[in-house]
Amino acid sequence: AMAGMLEPHLEALRRELRAPDPAVLSVLLALLAVAITLLIWRLVQGRRSSRKAVLLLGLCDAGKTLLFARLLTGKYRDTQTSITDSSAVYRVSNDKSANVTLIDLPGHESLRLQFLERFKAAARAIVFVVDSVAFQREVKDVAEFLYQVLVDSTVLKNAPALLIACNKQDVTMAKSAKLIQQQLEKELNTLRVTRSAAPTSLDGSATGGPAQLGKKGKDFDFSQLPMKVEFVECSARGSKGEEGDADFEGLEKWLAKIA
Amino acid sequence: MLDFFTIFSKGGLVLWCFQGVRGPAAAATAPVNALIRSVLLQERGGNNSFTHEALTLKYKLDNQFELVFVVGFQKILTLTYVDKLIDDVHKEFRDKYRNEFQQKGTLGLLNGTFDFKDDFMRLLRDAEESSKVRAPTVMKTFEQSLKSQKTVKCMIETRGEKPKEKVKNKKNKGSKKEGTEAVAVPGKASAGDKQPSAAGEREELTKDEILQKNREEFFKRHMKAGEKSSKSPKPEAQKEKGKKPRVWDLGNSNAKVLDYSNSATNGSAEACPVEEFDPDTALGDRNREPGRLYDLEYESDDEAEEEKVIQNPSKPSAKKGGLGGMFGMLKGLVGSKSLTREDMDPVLEKMKDHLIAKNVAAEIAVQLCESVAKKLEGKVMGTFTTVTSTVKQALQEALVQILQPQRRVDVLRDVMDAQRHRRPYVVTFCGVNGVGKSTNLAKISFWLIENGFSVLIAACDTFRAGAVEQLRTHTRRLNALHPPESHGGRTMVQLYEKGYGKDAAGIAMEAISYGRWKTVGGRRRFGGSVPLNAASLSSPARNQGFDVVLVDTAGRMQDNAPLMTALAKLIAVNAPDLVLFVGEALVGNEAVDQLVKFNKALADHSMAQTPRLIDGIVLTKFDTIDDKVGAAISMTYITSKPIVFVGTGQTYCDLRSLNAKAVVAALMKA
Repeated sequence: AMAGMLEPHLEALRRELRAPDPAVLSVLLALLAVAITLLIWRLVQGRRSSRKAVLLLGLCDAGKTLLFARLLTGKYRDTQTSITDSSAVYRVSNDKSANVTLIDLPGHESLRLQFLERFKAAARAIVFVVDSVAFQREVKDVAEFLYQVLVDSTVLKNAPALLIACNKQDVTMAKSAKLIQQQLEKELNTLRVTRSAAPTSLDGSATGGPAQLGKKGKDFDFSQLPMKVEFVECSARGSKGEEGDADFEGLEKWLAKIA
Repeated sequence: MLDFFTIFSKGGLVLWCFQGVRGPAAAATAPVNALIRSVLLQERGGNNSFTHEALTLKYKLDNQFELVFVVGFQKILTLTYVDKLIDDVHKEFRDKYRNEFQQKGTLGLLNGTFDFKDDFMRLLRDAEESSKVRAPTVMKTFEQSLKSQKTVKCMIETRGEKPKEKVKNKKNKGSKKEGTEAVAVPGKASAGDKQPSAAGEREELTKDEILQKNREEFFKRHMKAGEKSSKSPKPEAQKEKGKKPRVWDLGNSNAKVLDYSNSATNGSAEACPVEEFDPDTALGDRNREPGRLYDLEYESDDEAEEEKVIQNPSKPSAKKGGLGGMFGMLKGLVGSKSLTREDMDPVLEKMKDHLIAKNVAAEIAVQLCESVAKKLEGKVMGTFTTVTSTVKQALQEALVQILQPQRRVDVLRDVMDAQRHRRPYVVTFCGVNGVGKSTNLAKISFWLIENGFSVLIAACDTFRAGAVEQLRTHTRRLNALHPPESHGGRTMVQLYEKGYGKDAAGIAMEAISYGRWKTVGGRRRFGGSVPLNAASLSSPARNQGFDVVLVDTAGRMQDNAPLMTALAKLIAVNAPDLVLFVGEALVGNEAVDQLVKFNKALADHSMAQTPRLIDGIVLTKFDTIDDKVGAAISMTYITSKPIVFVGTGQTYCDLRSLNAKAVVAALMKA
């Protein structure tokens, strides 16, 4: 009797499966598609959000674009003042799997902060290129840009590794990395005071940022920063000029470490 | 004839370079860098040519593949084929290397070899030849001209056009005399009504052919009528031959007869009858209150009419764009559409009007929109972006770029530097009348005192009544706020004044030397007589110097040449460390005129090779404008100097520094 009663229900179910209701099926399929898309999207987002960019920052004429070209191709290229950024994937020489995205940002005063804003979130490491020959003249401008990079809230939060590349070492008048480090520390020490004392900005936020570089009371030192800072000497042009290779083993080793 | 031609990417890599007539490769980089820095980065990309020393540079942007094409040639040459050459090269280069740009991206640019020399030489040759073809045309020979085909008779002049004789051919002079009598007949008959037309034709000395045609028609019409009255004009024609002396009517009488003035009334008041004086017509309004000055009345109807007129031409274009705009929007949403000038024009018009409504100077708004258009032309938009959003984004970036300072803005750092060299840091304030120089000078001195620097205020405004007293009141107040006791016995602020009417430049010089670090007491003595007694010898040398000297000048209009000369002299002679131009945020189009003329005056009257121009701007009365902050843009665009301080009120704490993003946000807000 039970089987007799179930039979018509089973028959109904079998009929349903054989000739399914299109509306219900389509709704089920749609939900499945949406779920799969969400999963894929989250995976892709996750991969993209991991910071893989190495930013090349510095003043105008520091040699960023030439360094960028040398790192990627090894050849010498003529360069002009950059107006926009350029980015490319750089593969570390011996390790095929490790690669970073090198991003060369313009150094001109009107553009540098805008581009920094755009790319700072994706930065895993920052290479700050300094012109060692003109350093004595430009020390205040170099220090100010470095200060602006260091007190940026995103940079402080992510604490990307910082390498200060003292470029143009092929010229005899170039200053050594040690001297540049000392001078920058002295200058940043003074800048801490003057920038925090500057008049507050129009919309209320202080220009120096609420962050205080280093420790109060003590002289500024690069070791007081939350990120790792290294100084390295390099020459994008290379000692043999345009035909030879560039001298930047220190830079390459550091990049290999970072990747 | 070209000096060089470079093609480089916007990221800075030179893709291809052509060295023309002379010069090593490096000669191209410096002018191109100057071009980039002064034109492209300062949003002056409206016209596409730029002069740098002896070279003229013309450029073209490719916004799709982010390339820049620059050609340089000597300034003295005028080459007509350059524009066409750039366009051709652009098209050819883009088509040839399209794959590299699209597929390989930056690595393609780095690794690719761009062997373009042959194509370029071919294009150059074509361009040069095409310009030669349009060489000056050869003059027509006499046989070819229309003149030789006319008969002699129609070239003969009539009486009405006597001055024309000089223009005509010598050949016809002989025949003219014979024909004069016959032709004078018809000429005289209707000389009356021909006179006005003759007078008109007499003025058109250059239009020979038109004259001949008119004359032919005229003769055809009046040939018959003239023959009847042939006899009467004959004697008059004869009379014309000689030249008669002119006779004045009263020429022989003496001056007395010619004196029409009533000698009896000259100088004597009684002889002048009192005219009928009507107070109503003289005064105008009988019912006014005596002594009251009424406000200026302006018609607001005119403004409404102007708005209607402006709106009307924009309406038909909006209607036309309605359907096309809808399709364009859909196309823009879906595919990769490259921006054309026609797409951007309506949006740019609206943005320009918006900027002008926000108090940006009109010509600067126009130039800005031109520059943004140049930057966006040909750019490929991404999916789901409309033309409006792309243009707005580009304009916002351009505005932020303009407001970013081109040099370091850190007054305290520079003051510390000067302190180390034991000399005062001199700041001069200049500007037109009533912008707030003295008020903001007081605010800045308060800020400096708070940071521990001593200030000497030099009252070089020796013209305006109460200027010195105003500064004295500020000094007293500041000293009350920061008494010497709380700063180790040092007076933080002092006023240096010499009263009214004196030479401002002299007072400034004295103030600076007064503010210089001196040692008082001890063996070394500079200036002043300090008695050498035992007490002063044993006491340690006292350093009495000021860290900052603030020089307040009188307000002056930019058109007032003698005052501008005086200001330029003050700045040239005293060589201040910082020259600040004080401008109010309420100013509109006047800002452009003020700054240009101030800079020009400073440049003209300076003897040095590199004249001292305005170094920075102080923008005052910022609290009176809500979001009409366009004056900041106008001022920084014209001078490309940063805005150092912003004044937002009349108390000592109302001093701010500029925040570029906030200002641009207020500017772009609808």
